[in-house]
Amino acid sequence: MDGGARTPQLALEVSDLHKSYGAHQVLKGISLQAENRDVVAILGSSGSGKSTFLRCINLLETPTKGAVRVDGELIKMTESRGEPAPADHKQVERIRSKLAMVFQQFNLWQHLTIRENVTIAQVKVLGRSEEEAIAKAEAMMEKVGVADKRNHYPSQLSGGQQQRVAIARALAMDPEVMLFDEPTSALDPELVNEVLKVMRSLAEEGRTMLVVTHETGFAREAANKLLFLHQGLVEESGDPREAMANPQSERFRQFLTGNLK
Amino acid sequence: MTNLIEFLPLLMRGLQITLLLAVCTLILGVLLGLVLAMAKLSKNPWISRPVFAVTNFLRGIPEFLILLIIFFGGTQVLGNILGPESSITVSPFGAGLTALTIVFGSYASETFRAAFQSVPKGQLEAAHACGFTRWQTFRYIQMPQIWRVAIPGLSNLWQGAVKDTALVSIVGLDDLMRSANQAAQTSREPFTFYLAAALMFLAITLVSMWLIGLLEKRANRGF
Repeated sequence: MDGGARTPQLALEVSDLHKSYGAHQVLKGISLQAENRDVVAILGSSGSGKSTFLRCINLLETPTKGAVRVDGELIKMTESRGEPAPADHKQVERIRSKLAMVFQQFNLWQHLTIRENVTIAQVKVLGRSEEEAIAKAEAMMEKVGVADKRNHYPSQLSGGQQQRVAIARALAMDPEVMLFDEPTSALDPELVNEVLKVMRSLAEEGRTMLVVTHETGFAREAANKLLFLHQGLVEESGDPREAMANPQSERFRQFLTGNLK
Repeated sequence: MTNLIEFLPLLMRGLQITLLLAVCTLILGVLLGLVLAMAKLSKNPWISRPVFAVTNFLRGIPEFLILLIIFFGGTQVLGNILGPESSITVSPFGAGLTALTIVFGSYASETFRAAFQSVPKGQLEAAHACGFTRWQTFRYIQMPQIWRVAIPGLSNLWQGAVKDTALVSIVGLDDLMRSANQAAQTSREPFTFYLAAALMFLAITLVSMWLIGLLEKRANRGF
């Protein structure tokens, strides 16, 4: 019980997270502590488990073992038919609303306009009034530069615009922590920068962010913590600039040279 | 012509019953189809397999036969249970509605099953990640996108259901078909009255095609 009082309040604390699919172990015990205003870059080659790790934090995947605390609150787990499962759906829904997620494939709701995409969860999940939600949505769309698209549908927008809308949708929830799952990987090269620019400005604002990415440039310039995953374990961690200038592990060195070529 | 005017109120009453039966079939059949589709998509084989078996069976036998089983068979079974002096019988409307609904529902379950599977998983994940409950995800994200895919299939089933109501006249429902029959026999002008009935069925079909077109346009926004 005194765990929360001992350390300064962490925005997010993940301890010893495991995830297996049958006999296949994807995550073999990963821990992470993020304070408010931290920007954590999570790097790793494909198959390293970095996306699975992110998806375990908001329970899109159910961790096999381990603990997740958001703002000091432990996500309660139980077992159902021999499998781990969330114990309290209400709690999961409440915590998810504090952990906004931005997906690789944007996942904007196709049947709703841009503005509806940014308002609906505010109204249905946070219980804001329609006017309040629209005001918030307008401000967030303005911030990421898509306000002129408010009455368009997602299919009418470019990938970069869609991803910026997805960021606005996440921001509108006033999240404690933002989770980015390879937000630029599905974009054409010339559209990557407009999204990275928005993410940099969020980092400068002091948003707490976890960013799974291949963009080593973003990790170096915008992040203050780095986690390099390899085969389900943390292979290297620390300050991004130091770690990237002077990698301790062979794997990370190889990853960096492969990426910087 | 005088005959047509004389029998028009009879035909209109029949038309009302036909429409009532068709609309009730549509509403109950859509609900049944949704529930059956969800059961078919259940991860639990004890739920999905029996539902597949029953709907395949129902789709494999003539609707007319199902109607006769429910109407005559139902009265017989009720009589056996309640004793010979019981006066409870199955009404033509009730039997017709039951038969048409379970057939509509069986076919609609396949339409909805395909529609459920057509919604990309990411759409639901985004809703979950925002903190939507399961019901909210279903209601606000899944359902609107399911409609879009299901409308053409459901519209075919609706057209079929409208025409199949004519079968229920055989067990004594005073629908459009039976009213037309009565008028044709009484007036000895079968051509006039069967043609009148045909035009009324056609009118229902045309109006509903127009309405479905509007619905489809609305559901397709954004795609």
